[in-house]
Amino acid sequence: MVLIIISLFFIINLYNKPFIDIKKSNPELEVTAQEILDDYLADEYSANEKYVDNLIQIKGEIAEISFDKGVSIITLKDRSGFSSIICHMLPEANLNVLKLKKGSQITIKGVCTGYLFDIMMVRCILTNSNFNEK
Amino acid sequence: MSSQLFSQERYLTKEGYISFFSHSLVEDIKADNYQVLSVIDKKTGEIAIQLLMKSFMFEKALMQEHFNQSYVESYKYPKATFKGYILNLKELDVQNGTVEIKGILSLHGKEKKISTIANIQILKDQINLSGHFMVEVADFDIKIPIVVRNNIAKTIKITFDLKHKPYK
Repeated sequence: MVLIIISLFFIINLYNKPFIDIKKSNPELEVTAQEILDDYLADEYSANEKYVDNLIQIKGEIAEISFDKGVSIITLKDRSGFSSIICHMLPEANLNVLKLKKGSQITIKGVCTGYLFDIMMVRCILTNSNFNEK
Repeated sequence: MSSQLFSQERYLTKEGYISFFSHSLVEDIKADNYQVLSVIDKKTGEIAIQLLMKSFMFEKALMQEHFNQSYVESYKYPKATFKGYILNLKELDVQNGTVEIKGILSLHGKEKKISTIANIQILKDQINLSGHFMVEVADFDIKIPIVVRNNIAKTIKITFDLKHKPYK
Protein backbone atom coordinates (compact mmCIF):
# COMPACT_ATOMS: atom_id res chain seq x y z
CA MET A 1 0.00 0.00 0.00
CA VAL A 2 2.79 2.40 0.98
CA LEU A 3 4.61 1.45 -2.19
CA ILE A 4 1.55 2.29 -4.26
CA ILE A 5 1.19 5.68 -2.60
CA ILE A 6 4.89 6.43 -3.10
CA SER A 7 4.86 5.41 -6.73
CA LEU A 8 1.64 7.33 -7.31
CA PHE A 9 3.29 10.37 -5.79
CA PHE A 10 6.20 10.05 -8.20
CA ILE A 11 3.95 9.55 -11.20
CA ILE A 12 1.91 12.66 -10.36
CA ASN A 13 5.10 14.59 -9.74
CA LEU A 14 6.49 13.53 -13.09
CA TYR A 15 3.20 14.35 -14.83
CA ASN A 16 3.30 17.84 -13.34
CA LYS A 17 7.00 18.30 -13.95
CA PRO A 18 7.48 22.05 -14.36
CA PHE A 19 9.08 23.84 -17.30
CA ILE A 20 12.66 24.96 -16.78
CA ASP A 21 12.82 28.17 -14.74
CA ILE A 22 14.32 30.59 -17.25
CA LYS A 23 15.09 33.22 -14.64
CA LYS A 24 16.98 31.01 -12.23
CA SER A 25 18.73 28.73 -14.69
CA ASN A 26 22.12 29.49 -16.15
CA PRO A 27 22.28 29.61 -19.94
CA GLU A 28 23.98 26.69 -21.63
CA LEU A 29 25.35 28.99 -24.34
CA GLU A 30 26.13 32.69 -24.52
CA VAL A 31 26.36 34.21 -27.99
CA THR A 32 25.96 37.46 -29.87
CA ALA A 33 23.10 37.90 -32.35
CA GLN A 34 25.63 37.85 -35.18
CA GLU A 35 27.21 34.58 -34.02
CA ILE A 36 23.97 32.61 -33.87
CA LEU A 37 22.75 34.07 -37.18
CA ASP A 38 26.06 33.16 -38.85
CA ASP A 39 25.73 29.61 -37.51
CA TYR A 40 22.21 29.31 -38.94
CA LEU A 41 23.09 30.80 -42.32
CA ALA A 42 26.07 28.43 -42.59
CA ASP A 43 24.20 25.21 -41.77
CA GLU A 44 20.69 25.07 -40.37
CA TYR A 45 20.90 21.40 -39.42
CA SER A 46 24.01 21.62 -37.26
CA ALA A 47 22.86 24.95 -35.81
CA ASN A 48 19.63 23.22 -34.72
CA GLU A 49 21.70 20.53 -32.99
CA LYS A 50 23.64 23.23 -31.18
CA TYR A 51 20.83 25.61 -30.19
CA VAL A 52 17.33 24.10 -30.31
CA ASP A 53 15.80 23.28 -26.92
CA ASN A 54 18.74 24.88 -25.14
CA LEU A 55 18.55 27.84 -22.84
CA ILE A 56 20.67 30.44 -24.58
CA GLN A 57 21.65 34.00 -23.89
CA ILE A 58 21.90 36.37 -26.85
CA LYS A 59 23.37 39.84 -26.94
CA GLY A 60 22.23 42.08 -29.76
CA GLU A 61 20.66 45.27 -31.06
CA ILE A 62 16.90 45.79 -30.99
CA ALA A 63 15.42 46.14 -34.48
CA GLU A 64 11.79 46.16 -33.42
CA ILE A 65 9.50 45.85 -30.41
CA SER A 66 5.87 44.81 -30.83
CA PHE A 67 2.98 43.71 -28.65
CA ASP A 68 0.46 41.11 -29.70
CA LYS A 69 -2.25 39.55 -27.50
CA GLY A 70 -0.47 40.66 -24.32
CA VAL A 71 2.82 39.16 -25.43
CA SER A 72 5.79 41.33 -26.28
CA ILE A 73 8.04 40.39 -29.15
CA ILE A 74 11.57 41.73 -29.52
CA THR A 75 13.38 41.37 -32.82
CA LEU A 76 17.17 41.42 -32.78
CA LYS A 77 18.89 42.22 -36.04
CA ASP A 78 22.19 41.40 -37.65
CA ARG A 79 24.40 43.60 -39.81
CA SER A 80 23.22 42.27 -43.18
CA GLY A 81 19.56 42.70 -42.27
CA PHE A 82 18.42 39.56 -44.11
CA SER A 83 17.60 37.41 -41.10
CA SER A 84 16.75 38.39 -37.57
CA ILE A 85 16.07 36.79 -34.21
CA ILE A 86 12.44 36.90 -33.13
CA CYS A 87 12.10 36.63 -29.35
CA HIS A 88 8.69 35.97 -27.81
CA MET A 89 8.91 37.25 -24.25
CA LEU A 90 7.32 35.75 -21.15
CA PRO A 91 4.49 37.98 -19.80
CA GLU A 92 6.60 38.77 -16.72
CA ALA A 93 9.06 40.60 -18.99
CA ASN A 94 6.44 43.04 -20.32
CA LEU A 95 7.10 45.83 -17.83
CA ASN A 96 10.82 45.79 -18.54
CA VAL A 97 10.23 45.63 -22.29
CA LEU A 98 8.37 48.96 -22.05
CA LYS A 99 11.61 50.58 -20.88
CA LEU A 100 13.51 49.49 -23.98
CA LYS A 101 14.14 51.44 -27.16
CA LYS A 102 14.86 50.51 -30.75
CA GLY A 103 18.58 50.43 -31.45
CA SER A 104 19.76 49.74 -27.93
CA GLN A 105 21.92 46.78 -27.01
CA ILE A 106 20.28 44.15 -24.83
CA THR A 107 20.82 40.65 -23.53
CA ILE A 108 17.96 38.16 -23.78
CA LYS A 109 17.73 34.70 -22.25
CA GLY A 110 15.33 32.13 -23.69
CA VAL A 111 14.77 28.85 -25.48
CA CYS A 112 15.50 28.45 -29.20
CA THR A 113 12.88 26.56 -31.24
CA GLY A 114 14.59 26.69 -34.64
CA TYR A 115 14.75 28.63 -37.89
CA LEU A 116 11.99 29.92 -40.20
CA PHE A 117 14.02 32.42 -42.26
CA ASP A 118 14.45 34.00 -38.83
CA ILE A 119 15.66 32.43 -35.63
CA MET A 120 12.72 31.76 -33.31
CA MET A 121 13.01 32.11 -29.54
CA VAL A 122 10.31 31.39 -26.94
CA ARG A 123 9.85 31.99 -23.22
CA CYS A 124 12.40 34.81 -23.20
CA ILE A 125 13.29 37.20 -20.39
CA LEU A 126 15.61 40.17 -20.19
CA THR A 127 18.69 39.55 -18.08
CA ASN A 128 19.47 41.86 -15.18
CA SER A 129 22.52 43.27 -16.92
CA ASN A 130 20.16 45.35 -19.12
CA PHE A 131 19.14 47.56 -16.23
CA ASN A 132 22.15 47.60 -13.91
CA GLU A 133 23.98 50.12 -16.04
CA LYS A 134 21.33 52.81 -15.68
CA MET B 1 11.61 33.17 -49.63
CA SER B 2 10.98 31.61 -53.03
CA SER B 3 10.74 34.96 -54.74
CA GLN B 4 9.87 33.61 -58.19
CA LEU B 5 6.77 31.98 -56.80
CA PHE B 6 5.15 35.12 -55.50
CA SER B 7 4.21 38.35 -57.26
CA GLN B 8 4.40 41.89 -55.95
CA GLU B 9 1.16 41.64 -54.02
CA ARG B 10 2.53 39.56 -51.19
CA TYR B 11 1.17 39.66 -47.68
CA LEU B 12 3.09 38.14 -44.83
CA THR B 13 3.04 37.37 -41.13
CA LYS B 14 5.73 35.93 -38.91
CA GLU B 15 3.51 36.00 -35.84
CA GLY B 16 0.62 33.87 -37.02
CA TYR B 17 -1.27 31.68 -34.57
CA ILE B 18 -2.03 27.98 -34.98
CA SER B 19 -3.19 25.69 -32.21
CA PHE B 20 -4.29 22.12 -31.93
CA PHE B 21 -6.76 20.60 -29.57
CA SER B 22 -7.33 17.01 -28.60
CA HIS B 23 -10.37 16.04 -26.58
CA SER B 24 -10.67 12.68 -24.85
CA LEU B 25 -12.52 11.37 -21.84
CA VAL B 26 -9.27 11.29 -19.88
CA GLU B 27 -7.98 14.77 -20.64
CA ASP B 28 -8.01 17.73 -23.01
CA ILE B 29 -4.70 18.66 -24.56
CA LYS B 30 -4.07 22.01 -26.21
CA ALA B 31 -0.93 23.55 -27.66
CA ASP B 32 -0.41 27.04 -29.04
CA ASN B 33 2.06 28.25 -31.62
CA TYR B 34 2.42 32.03 -32.04
CA GLN B 35 5.40 31.88 -34.41
CA VAL B 36 3.72 30.83 -37.62
CA LEU B 37 5.10 32.14 -40.91
CA SER B 38 2.47 32.63 -43.61
CA VAL B 39 2.64 34.29 -47.03
CA ILE B 40 -0.30 35.07 -49.32
CA ASP B 41 -0.09 36.20 -52.91
CA LYS B 42 -3.18 38.33 -53.38
CA LYS B 43 -2.97 38.13 -57.16
CA THR B 44 -2.82 34.36 -57.51
CA GLY B 45 -4.38 33.31 -54.22
CA GLU B 46 -1.34 31.24 -53.42
CA ILE B 47 -0.70 30.61 -49.72
CA ALA B 48 2.36 29.09 -48.02
CA ILE B 49 2.51 28.41 -44.29
CA GLN B 50 5.42 27.13 -42.24
CA LEU B 51 5.82 26.47 -38.56
CA LEU B 52 8.28 24.91 -36.16
CA MET B 53 6.95 21.95 -34.19
CA LYS B 54 9.07 23.03 -31.22
CA SER B 55 7.19 26.33 -31.08
CA PHE B 56 4.02 24.58 -29.88
CA MET B 57 3.63 25.50 -26.22
CA PHE B 58 1.81 23.06 -23.96
CA GLU B 59 0.40 23.51 -20.51
CA LYS B 60 2.58 20.73 -19.15
CA ALA B 61 6.30 20.28 -19.78
CA LEU B 62 5.96 16.51 -19.98
CA MET B 63 3.30 16.70 -22.71
CA GLN B 64 5.55 18.97 -24.74
CA GLU B 65 8.45 16.55 -24.32
CA HIS B 66 6.43 13.52 -25.40
CA PHE B 67 4.94 15.40 -28.33
CA ASN B 68 8.34 16.44 -29.70
CA GLN B 69 10.34 13.33 -28.87
CA SER B 70 7.94 10.45 -29.41
CA TYR B 71 4.96 11.55 -31.48
CA VAL B 72 6.01 14.07 -34.13
CA GLU B 73 9.77 13.42 -33.79
CA SER B 74 10.71 17.09 -34.09
CA TYR B 75 14.43 16.39 -34.23
CA LYS B 76 13.82 14.54 -37.52
CA TYR B 77 10.92 16.65 -38.82
CA PRO B 78 11.32 20.12 -37.27
CA LYS B 79 8.79 21.88 -39.55
CA ALA B 80 5.24 21.48 -40.73
CA THR B 81 4.19 23.19 -43.96
CA PHE B 82 1.03 23.93 -45.88
CA LYS B 83 1.09 24.93 -49.53
CA GLY B 84 -2.07 25.69 -51.41
CA TYR B 85 -4.52 28.16 -52.86
CA ILE B 86 -7.24 30.43 -51.59
CA LEU B 87 -9.88 29.82 -54.24
CA ASN B 88 -11.56 32.78 -55.95
CA LEU B 89 -9.62 35.32 -53.89
CA LYS B 90 -9.55 37.75 -56.81
CA GLU B 91 -13.30 37.63 -57.36
CA LEU B 92 -14.00 38.32 -53.71
CA ASP B 93 -15.52 41.80 -53.64
CA VAL B 94 -16.46 42.01 -49.97
CA GLN B 95 -14.33 42.94 -46.99
CA ASN B 96 -15.55 40.08 -44.85
CA GLY B 97 -16.42 36.72 -46.26
CA THR B 98 -15.60 33.08 -46.43
CA VAL B 99 -13.22 31.38 -48.82
CA GLU B 100 -12.26 27.85 -49.63
CA ILE B 101 -8.62 26.89 -49.14
CA LYS B 102 -7.16 23.78 -50.76
CA GLY B 103 -3.66 22.45 -50.44
CA ILE B 104 -1.19 19.96 -49.06
CA LEU B 105 -0.26 19.71 -45.39
CA SER B 106 3.15 18.16 -44.72
CA LEU B 107 3.84 16.95 -41.22
CA HIS B 108 6.03 14.22 -39.76
CA GLY B 109 7.27 13.38 -43.27
CA LYS B 110 3.74 12.65 -44.55
CA GLU B 111 1.56 14.65 -46.92
CA LYS B 112 -2.19 15.02 -46.85
CA LYS B 113 -4.64 16.99 -48.98
CA ILE B 114 -6.61 19.51 -46.96
CA SER B 115 -9.68 21.44 -47.98
CA THR B 116 -11.30 23.88 -45.59
CA ILE B 117 -13.49 26.94 -45.36
CA ALA B 118 -11.93 30.00 -43.74
CA ASN B 119 -13.10 33.43 -42.70
CA ILE B 120 -11.35 36.14 -44.61
CA GLN B 121 -11.09 39.83 -43.89
CA ILE B 122 -9.51 42.06 -46.47
CA LEU B 123 -8.54 45.50 -45.21
CA LYS B 124 -6.46 48.24 -46.80
CA ASP B 125 -3.18 46.90 -45.52
CA GLN B 126 -4.11 43.60 -43.96
CA ILE B 127 -5.48 40.19 -44.95
CA ASN B 128 -6.79 38.10 -42.07
CA LEU B 129 -7.56 34.41 -42.34
CA SER B 130 -9.09 32.39 -39.56
CA GLY B 131 -10.88 29.10 -39.11
CA HIS B 132 -10.39 25.51 -38.16
CA PHE B 133 -10.28 22.03 -39.64
CA MET B 134 -9.85 18.47 -38.42
CA VAL B 135 -7.00 16.06 -39.12
CA GLU B 136 -6.65 12.36 -38.40
CA VAL B 137 -3.60 11.44 -36.33
CA ALA B 138 -3.29 8.18 -38.29
CA ASP B 139 -2.88 10.05 -41.61
CA PHE B 140 0.49 11.33 -40.49
CA ASP B 141 1.94 8.06 -39.28
CA ILE B 142 2.08 9.31 -35.70
CA LYS B 143 2.30 6.41 -33.30
CA ILE B 144 0.64 6.80 -29.93
CA PRO B 145 1.68 4.24 -27.28
CA ILE B 146 -1.13 1.99 -26.04
CA VAL B 147 -0.78 3.27 -22.46
CA VAL B 148 -1.86 6.77 -23.43
CA ARG B 149 -4.08 5.84 -26.37
CA ASN B 150 -7.16 6.87 -24.40
CA ASN B 151 -5.62 10.24 -23.54
CA ILE B 152 -5.24 11.42 -27.11
CA ALA B 153 -8.04 11.88 -29.62
CA LYS B 154 -7.89 10.18 -33.03
CA THR B 155 -9.07 13.39 -34.65
CA ILE B 156 -7.34 16.65 -33.78
CA LYS B 157 -8.81 20.11 -34.25
CA ILE B 158 -6.46 22.63 -35.84
CA THR B 159 -7.31 26.31 -35.35
CA PHE B 160 -5.63 29.13 -37.26
CA ASP B 161 -5.60 32.90 -37.04
CA LEU B 162 -3.24 34.60 -39.47
CA LYS B 163 -3.02 38.36 -39.82
CA HIS B 164 -0.96 39.24 -42.87
CA LYS B 165 0.58 42.62 -43.60
CA PRO B 166 1.95 43.84 -46.94
CA TYR B 167 5.45 42.52 -47.54
CA LYS B 168 7.95 45.17 -48.53
